[in-house]
Amino acid sequence: MIVQLHQLTAALYLIAALVASLGIALPAPRLGRLSLTLLGVASLAHAACFGLLHSGNATPALTELTMAVSFMALVGTVFYLVLAWHTRLVGLVVLVAPLAFISVFAAGIHLRVVRPAVEKTAGGSWEHAHVLLASAGLALLGLAGIAGLFFLVEHRRLKSKQAIRPRFRLPSIEALDRVNKAALAVGFPLLTLGVITGVFWTEAQTGRVFSGTPHEVWSVIAWAIYAVVVIARFATHQGARQAAASAVGGFVFLFFAVIGLEFFL
Amino acid sequence: MKIILLGLNHKSAPLEVRERLAVDDVAGPLQKLVAADEIDEAVLISTCNRVEVVALTRSLDAARHRLRSFFSRDLVSDGRGVPGDFDDFLYEFAERDAIRHLLRVASALDSMVVGEPQILGQVKDAYRAAIECEACGPIIGRLFQHAFTTAKRVRTETRIAERPLSVARVAVDLAKQIFEELGDKRAVMIGAGEMIEAALAALNGVGLQSIAVANRTPERAAELAVRFEATAHGLEEIPHLVSTADVVLTCIGGDRPVLTREIVESARRKRRSHPLFVIDIGVPRNTDPEIDRLDNVYLYDIDDLGAVASENAEQRRQQTVHAEAVVNEEQQRFDGWFAALRAVPTIKHLRAHVEAIRVGELEKMLAKLDLGEVERGRVEALTKAIANKILHAPLARLRREAEREEGMAYLETARVLFGLDDGVESPSLGAEGKRGSGGSEIE
Repeated sequence: MIVQLHQLTAALYLIAALVASLGIALPAPRLGRLSLTLLGVASLAHAACFGLLHSGNATPALTELTMAVSFMALVGTVFYLVLAWHTRLVGLVVLVAPLAFISVFAAGIHLRVVRPAVEKTAGGSWEHAHVLLASAGLALLGLAGIAGLFFLVEHRRLKSKQAIRPRFRLPSIEALDRVNKAALAVGFPLLTLGVITGVFWTEAQTGRVFSGTPHEVWSVIAWAIYAVVVIARFATHQGARQAAASAVGGFVFLFFAVIGLEFFL
Repeated sequence: MKIILLGLNHKSAPLEVRERLAVDDVAGPLQKLVAADEIDEAVLISTCNRVEVVALTRSLDAARHRLRSFFSRDLVSDGRGVPGDFDDFLYEFAERDAIRHLLRVASALDSMVVGEPQILGQVKDAYRAAIECEACGPIIGRLFQHAFTTAKRVRTETRIAERPLSVARVAVDLAKQIFEELGDKRAVMIGAGEMIEAALAALNGVGLQSIAVANRTPERAAELAVRFEATAHGLEEIPHLVSTADVVLTCIGGDRPVLTREIVESARRKRRSHPLFVIDIGVPRNTDPEIDRLDNVYLYDIDDLGAVASENAEQRRQQTVHAEAVVNEEQQRFDGWFAALRAVPTIKHLRAHVEAIRVGELEKMLAKLDLGEVERGRVEALTKAIANKILHAPLARLRREAEREEGMAYLETARVLFGLDDGVESPSLGAEGKRGSGGSEIE
């Protein structure tokens, strides 16, 4: 049941991504709005999938990388949909939907071989909280990074006086800046909580608060970078373009620290 | 007589060059131009996007030389001289091409924003100014009247004027790329001329939170403010207005920028990261181009607006096929009229020749006859009627044939057959046809 629901979720994300792409290619704003609706339906199926996982197992496989990424996709998508409800952000669906599809597709492959129960380890609840919070934080900071990237693209286009695309458009730079700000405002506290719970988890496992693994070292550096980004954004008169560039750079570093290291080390 | 058009526009010259040739009062330069032997009649069109002279001359080469000198010396009067490649910015059309170009300009087919409604009024203003300073004569006057008729036909018979793409509309499209909502945005208009008025009319329906109009003449600003539910201000309030504004549109006369980098930098400090959209449609420019280097400030001048509108213009261009057909038709009509002018000297001469014979023969005959006043009148009327009837068909034929290139042979033949003298003057240069009688009222 869970596997089928996950497959359905992946299919819905894929359809949303295709419809969004078609909306740009034609161009047809209606398709953009339809893709947003499909993304909403897909995220509901996605949430149901995680609900079933939790109900079937006290410690679902969130600590697996693919499942964590799938969870990030859900959090990121839901946050995006909440923002899109109030802000004209239809254009972003063209990036959010494919990313969600890739994440869920990868997790779907893992689900087929998922073990029925996860062995309890020392600090299991801290581990779970850490992964949940860090994944959510990463998802939102990823959304901030995407908004920042699109902001830079639009900013460059406006500064270089390129022709107006009359129909399908990216969100306005003001809207993108707002998404960046909101995602950073919520994502950084979640990341901070993820780091704190990670410390408790490490302490429960090793008896020390810091064991010096590359994951810990790089994650703390990434957190420190984000702390600077957040201070610059909210406590100084930093311009929107610098904030966008910081969000993109910060996320690239964070992604490498949290997920990239899994592949390199 | 030949028609020549020399000028530069948004396609041939950058704004930096065009703004140096912008002329507020065309009377002085025009009077100087037509005082020269090379130019018989002229109209000077000076808008944000073009500076063009349409002239009537007897020698294209002489006129070409005079007009180039006019552009590089008389119009560029800022003492900085012209760039070495200035000639590259100028284009030139002669005879049919010149006629066609003017008809296209008046019909907004050559505009930066094809189909825009302002150009016709600007061409009419140029025509009026030329009439007032007696630079425009009957032939160029007739050409402009024809251009207005053509523009009217284009607007009524084609869809080009439907939903005209104005500067204000392009600006609104751009504003939507920058701002999420326009309902909570404040706009400042600097200037109170026609362009600002048109922008205010277009922005009225957008639903901006507030609009402020700042102008040198507070009365004019107040007048616009009342009409468009805006607030009126003097230019000294610009720093304060810009610090709270999201959109600034400038179009005001003067050689120095009214929106400087210092004003915008100071405003930015108060605005934090809020973007500021500045549209400068003034020529010469009203803003320091350096402000475009500032973060969160997006400056678009008249050329930039043309560039961003190019995609919309492409769609509009597809609708211009019919408009171009109308222009072709009207061009041919004017060509015919203009070519027929070649027959006028011959026709006048032929009429005079026949009249001289009639009067001579009549006087000889009347001397031999003892007729009363009534009879003499009847005989004179009879001779006039005979002469007119004999001349009617050949003169009509001459007029028709003169409209064609090959028609010159008919004129030559008529001169030979009737023994007319050569070297007759064009009626356009006759005493009754000199400048200042630019034709009928503007439509």
